Order: sequence, then C-alpha cells, then structure tokens
Amino acid sequence: MAALGSALALSACAGPLSTLQPEGPSARGAAMLWWIMLAGSAVIFALVSAMLVLAYARPGPLRAAGPKTIMVWGGLVFPGIVLTALVVAAFALGERMLATPRDPAPMRIEAIAERWIWTFRYPGTDGSETRNRLHIPAGQDIDFVVTSGDVIHAFWIPRLGGKIDAIPGRENIVRLRADRPGVYGGVCAEYCGEGHAVMRFTVEAHEEADYEARLAAAIAEESAR
Amino acid sequence: MSEVTVQGRQLVLLAAGFIVWSVAFVALYAMLSVGCAYGWDRIDLAGGLTLQRVQLIVIFLVHLGAGLWLARALRPASTSRGDDHPAQFLRHAAYGTAVAAVAATAFTFAGIFALTSCY
Ligand SMILES: [Cu+2]
Repeated sequence: MAALGSALALSACAGPLSTLQPEGPSARGAAMLWWIMLAGSAVIFALVSAMLVLAYARPGPLRAAGPKTIMVWGGLVFPGIVLTALVVAAFALGERMLATPRDPAPMRIEAIAERWIWTFRYPGTDGSETRNRLHIPAGQDIDFVVTSGDVIHAFWIPRLGGKIDAIPGRENIVRLRADRPGVYGGVCAEYCGEGHAVMRFTVEAHEEADYEARLAAAIAEESAR
Repeated sequence: MSEVTVQGRQLVLLAAGFIVWSVAFVALYAMLSVGCAYGWDRIDLAGGLTLQRVQLIVIFLVHLGAGLWLARALRPASTSRGDDHPAQFLRHAAYGTAVAAVAATAFTFAGIFALTSCY
C-alpha cells in the first residue's frame, strides 16, 4: 500500500520541470541531497514512531533510560549530528555551483528577464537574440549572466540546476551544464506580476558539433518573425 | 491565591541571547553584500586573507564575544533549580538560552571562515 502510494506520488515528479530528473551536475547535486533528506527523514520518522509504540506497549526500557538520557541523546546529540552533516553537504554542493573564474572561461550567455518575456543574447553573434527559447551546447559548462529590465524575476531551469534572481541593474551569474542534448523547461521563479505563471521558456541543448548551425538557424527564424 | 509578578526585564533577558544572534545575522548578511559590491574579496591583505573575510571574521568575533559576555552575566548565582519561583526559573532559562545562542552563533556563522563569499 505504502509502495503503491509512493509510486503514485513519485510518478507526478516526471516532466520538463522535474528537479528529480536531473540532466546536469548542479541539478544532480540538489536531487541527491533531496533523496538523502527524504530517506533520512523516513528513517527518523520510523524511529520516532517505534519509540512512541514502545512507550505504550513496553515502557520498561524507556523508563529505565530516564528522560534526561532520551532528551540529551534524542533531542540534542542525534539532531546535532544529522544537521551538521546536512549543513556540510549543502555547503560543499553550493561551492560547486558557483561561477568562479577559470581558464578557459565558459561560454557566457546573457539572460534578460522582462515582464513577461525571456531574452537570450549569445556571444560572437553581434548581439543576436532569441526570445523564450534558449539554445545551448550540451556537455559543457555555460555561465548565464542574468539580469532584469523591470522588476525582480528569477531564472530557473529545474532539470539543469539552481535558480538565481534576475535583479534590475545587477548581473548575477549561474553556471549550468546539460549532460546531453534534449529539451528542458525553464521558468520564472520569483513572483513578478500577473504574467508570472506563464513566464516560461524552453531550453534546447544541442550536440556540440551542431550547435553553431542550430543557433544560427534559430536566430534567423527569430528575426524573420 | 498567591500572586506572582514577573518583571518585563526578565522576559527581555529570556530573548537576549538570540537577539545577539539575530543582530550578528543581519550584520554579517549586510556586510557580506556591501563587501561584494565594493570588491573587498579581491583585496588581499596577507597570505590569501582578503579584506572581505577579515571584516566578516571581526563581526563574527564581536558577536561571539558579546554572546559569551551575556551568558556569563546571566549565570545564576546559585545552582539550585528554583523552579518553584518564576523569577528564579526565568533566570535559569535566560542563562540556558544565552548558552544555546552562543553555540548557534558559532555553528551557523562558521561558514565565513571557509566559504566563497562573492560570485
Ligand atoms: Cu518573472
């Protein structure tokens, strides 16, 4: 029954915006942490439930341990260890997501958010743009330089990795990578007005060899529109 | 019926430890952003120690010191639990909370020693 229930619940976790179907290192790290937390919390829940049952069914051992022992070990030491491990893991994962300078520098694509459209500008194309469709090469890190033309938005491609705010007058950079070619969903992840819910975009990750041709075609199509 | 009076001051002392913690939080968060905006993470003072990290560590140590001082000042004179008298109980609780706040300050803000501050 529980297995059926969780299978049903998890089947809702697939799709173009699913953080549980990671396609890049940044998203994989976050998904991994999520699974660890889910499994860990399930174990802890089972443990607490077992103690609750024990308290009613056979209170002897718990009474012998005494309230102080249970509170110090169960309420302080145990959560202390668990939370420390989670904090360290989260910090380590977070460090890996940063767009720290490196040589050679990853490709930089500008992402500009405006109510309620995403504009993407590509290097080496004389400032050519595509709207609501982002084209990237698969298999390499890309630095997205994210900003906004009006209010605060947020740039998020759940299957590739962490989101970052798009703030007017500032440039925030997030480093993402798509492991393989495919089509992924992107959304605005910061409420920005009545069009927020439909402020979506599509990410097309192409084979590295085809990328330039595909991008040129997409730009030509865009300007013909 | 016996009447019990609790002074407002005792209730403030109960929160004092974590007020220091929250001031540290706001100060570190604000100065982190200010430092990044002014590029203090690129000013190397000595051996890879940047101005950004030094100023954050100073803020951290000041608040850790304030928390320790507070915990010391709140330490009850007697070791008796005194749960029967509310004022005594509140004093013990304020001390325990202040100690917890010092531990929380050390734990939650320790990241400033090692983590990347800007980007
Ligand atoms: Cu938006």
